[in-house]
Amino acid sequence: MTAATATVGADDELAEIRAELRAVSRDLLGKVNPGTAVGWRQLADADWLGLEVPAALNGAGVTFAEVAVILQELGRAAAAGPYLGAIALGVGTLRELAPSPGRDQLLKQAASGQTLTVPVLTDGADAPWYGSGGSSASSGVPFRLERTSDGLRLHGHASFAPDAAEAGRLLLLATALPGSAPPPDSGASQDTGARQGDGAPADGATPVIVDVDPSANGLAVSAQPVLDATRRLALVTADGVQVDEASVHRFDADPTAAIGRLLDRAAVAIACDSLGLSEAMLDATVAYAGVRQQFGRPIGSFQAVKHACADMLVQISVARGLVDAATQAVAAGTPDASVAASMAKSYACAAAVEVAGKAMQLHGGIGYTWESGIHVYLKRAALNRSLFGSPTAHRKRLAARYNQTDGWRSSTIPA
Amino acid sequence: MTADLDEFRASVRDWCRTHVPADWRTAQTGVSEAEFAAFQQWWFAELRAAGYAVPHWPSEWGGGLSAAEQVVLYSELAVADAPRLVLAFVSIHHAAATLLAAGTDEQRRRHLPAILDGEIWVQGFSEPEAGSDLASLRTTARRDGDRYVVNGQKLWASGAMHADWCLLLARTDPTAQKRRGISYFLMDMRSPGLDVRPIRNAVGESHFCEIFLNDVVIPAANLVGPENAGWQVAQQTLGAERGMTMVELAERLGNAGFRWLVEACTRQGTVGDSLVADRLAAFETEITGLRALCRGLVDRHEAGTAGPADASIVKLYYSELLQRMTDFGVEIAGLPAQAELTKPASSGWESGAWMLDFIGSWEWTIPGGTSEIQRTIIAERGLGLPRAPAA
Repeated sequence: MTAATATVGADDELAEIRAELRAVSRDLLGKVNPGTAVGWRQLADADWLGLEVPAALNGAGVTFAEVAVILQELGRAAAAGPYLGAIALGVGTLRELAPSPGRDQLLKQAASGQTLTVPVLTDGADAPWYGSGGSSASSGVPFRLERTSDGLRLHGHASFAPDAAEAGRLLLLATALPGSAPPPDSGASQDTGARQGDGAPADGATPVIVDVDPSANGLAVSAQPVLDATRRLALVTADGVQVDEASVHRFDADPTAAIGRLLDRAAVAIACDSLGLSEAMLDATVAYAGVRQQFGRPIGSFQAVKHACADMLVQISVARGLVDAATQAVAAGTPDASVAASMAKSYACAAAVEVAGKAMQLHGGIGYTWESGIHVYLKRAALNRSLFGSPTAHRKRLAARYNQTDGWRSSTIPA
Repeated sequence: MTADLDEFRASVRDWCRTHVPADWRTAQTGVSEAEFAAFQQWWFAELRAAGYAVPHWPSEWGGGLSAAEQVVLYSELAVADAPRLVLAFVSIHHAAATLLAAGTDEQRRRHLPAILDGEIWVQGFSEPEAGSDLASLRTTARRDGDRYVVNGQKLWASGAMHADWCLLLARTDPTAQKRRGISYFLMDMRSPGLDVRPIRNAVGESHFCEIFLNDVVIPAANLVGPENAGWQVAQQTLGAERGMTMVELAERLGNAGFRWLVEACTRQGTVGDSLVADRLAAFETEITGLRALCRGLVDRHEAGTAGPADASIVKLYYSELLQRMTDFGVEIAGLPAQAELTKPASSGWESGAWMLDFIGSWEWTIPGGTSEIQRTIIAERGLGLPRAPAA
C-alpha cells in the first residue's frame, strides 16, 4: 500500500508539472504568429529542451508525457522551429543509445540548447517500417555503413527529414554491415550479445546510429520546400562519408525494438501536434461563428454550423483519448505502445485534416484567404498526416494482428 | 491499489467462469417475452448474490464498489460475454439515481431494497407530441387533496409490460412556462386506469409501449422533489448514470462486438483483404477511442469536473459508431446475415446477428435525445454557440 501510494503521489506530481507546462507554454506560444519560431534560447531557459534529459546531465529527468504537452501546444500555435527533430526525436534517439561520453555530451548540449542534434530515422518517401511489421532490421533503414580499406564509409539518402537542415549534428540510422559495427562493450549492457541477437538480421547487419557533422565531406543536406511553410524538411544524401569509430553508436538494447520505439515516438509526436492544431481550429471557428452575422444573426446560431462544430469537438475528444493513451504508453515503454501509437497517429492526423478543412469551410470566403491563416493549419495538418506513416499504413500495421490468434484482443486502454 | 484491483479482476474473472452459462446465447435465441423476463430475473439475482448487480449504488444500499472497480467489473463481464441486464436497466440506473438524488428517505426505503428484489421500472417521459421537445409534454396531474389524478398518454416506454413502477413526468401547472410546470412522480403500474399497449418496432420486437393514463391516482407522497420542479429533477438524473453505463456498452463493443466482426471477416475469407483490413483497423481504433472517452467521463464525474456536454458527446459517438459498425457487419457477413431471423435475447446491441443489430441501432440514434439534439446540446452547452432566436 505504501508503494502504491508513493506511485500515486509521483503521478500526481507529474500531472501537476504537465498542467503547469501547458499553461506556461500556451501563454508563451500564444504570443507568436503561426509559422514563426519561438527563440531557442527562450525554450532552453524555460527548461523545455531537456525535459527527458537525465538530471545528471543537466536535464529535468521527466518523461515523454511532458514533452507531449509542448508538442501539442506547438501544434496549437502552428509554430515553426526544430523542437520535433532536435528534442522529441533527438533526445529520444540519444536516450536509446548505449551510454558513452559522446552520447552524454550530446544530451547535455541538447538540454542547454547549444547544439541541435537531429536524427534521420526513415526515408520519408517510403516508410516500410509501418508496413506489415518490418521484420528485418535492415529493411527501411536509410543509410548503410561499410568498412573499406581506408576506414568506415557511410552511404545512403533520406528525404523529408524533419529539421535536418538546421542540425548541428545529424544522427543517421544506418545498417552496419558485418565488420563495420563497433564491437559490443565488455560491460554488462552488452554482455553476451543476447539482447542484440533478436534484432540482428540474418545477414549479420546491425542497425546503428552514426553521428555526423552536417558539413562533412560527402554529406549533402538540402532543404526540401513543401507547401506547409511551418516545417523544415530536408534531403540528406551520404556519398562515402568518412566516419570514425567513436561516431558509431550502438543501441543500448535490441536495435529492432529500439527503432520501433523511436518510430512510435515519432508517430505520437506528430499526433500530438495534430491534436493541438485541431483544438486551435475549433476554437477559432467557434469564436468566428459567434460574431460573424448573416441573415441578421450569428452564423453559429444556425443548426448546420452548430452541428459541424459539434462533430469537430467529438472528433477532437476521441483523438485526445487516443493521443493521451499513446503518450502514456510511449512514456512508459509498455509492450502495446506500437498499437496505441498507430491508433493515435491514424485517427488524430486524419481528424485534424477534417477539422481544419471544416474550419476553412465555416469561415467562409475569409477562411479561403491567405490572410486568415486557416490554410497554414490545413497544410500542416495534411503534412502531419503523411509524416511517419499515413493513416492507411498505420491501420495496415494494426490489421496485421487480426490474422494472429488473439493478438488483437489486447486492449490499449489499461482496464 | 493496483494490486487490489488486480485481485478484484481475478475474482470477477473467476466468478464469470463458474456463473456465466456457456450456452446462454443459443438457449436465449427465439425465446418468448416471459422466458426472457424470467432469465433476466435469474441473472439479476445471480449478480446480486455476488455483489455485482448494483455496484454503483452507495454501500448502505448494497453497492459501494469504487469507480475503478466498476470499470473492471464491466470489462470482465464483457470479456466473459455474460448476459446483459436489460430488464433491470431503468430500475438500477435511472430509478435509483433519481431516488438517491431527489427522493425522500421513505421513498428510498420503499424502493431501493425492492429493486434489489427484482422490482422493475419503466420510464414514462416521451409522448406523441413530446419527443425531442420533451418539455412540451401534455399529460396532466391534477392535485386533489393528498393525491394527484393523472390523464394523458406516454410513448416509447421500454419494457412497460414487465414494469412494476414508472418514473412519470406530468404537467402540474398548465399556466406556467413549459419547463416550470412539470412534476416528477413514482407511479404504481398496477394502478387502475392504466392501459399498456406494446408497439412493434422496426426490428419486429415489442418492448416499446404506449401507456394510456385515464384518471390514474398517484398519492402525493409519490411526488419526487417539489411540485413543478420535475424538469430539474429529470435533468439532474438524466446524464448522471451515463458514464458507467456507457463504459459497459463500450466494453461490449470492444470485446464480443469487435471479435465477431473479425470472425465474420475471417469466415468470409476477407480478413486479409486490404480494404476490409483497413476498415477493421479503423473500427478497432474508434472503439478504443470510445473506451477512453467513456472512462474519461467516469473520471470527470468522480472528480466533479465533467463538462455540460460530455455525456452528449459519448452518447452521440457511441450511437453512430454502433450504427456504422453494425452496418459494416451486414455488408461483410453477406447474404447469410440476411437469413438470421432471430438474435439472442439478453445480448448486447452487437449480438453478431448483424442485420438485426443494424436495424436495432436506430434505437440508439433516436431515443434518449436524437443525434441531432445531442449535436445541438454539444454546440450550445459544450462550445457556447448562440441559441437560435425564438421563432
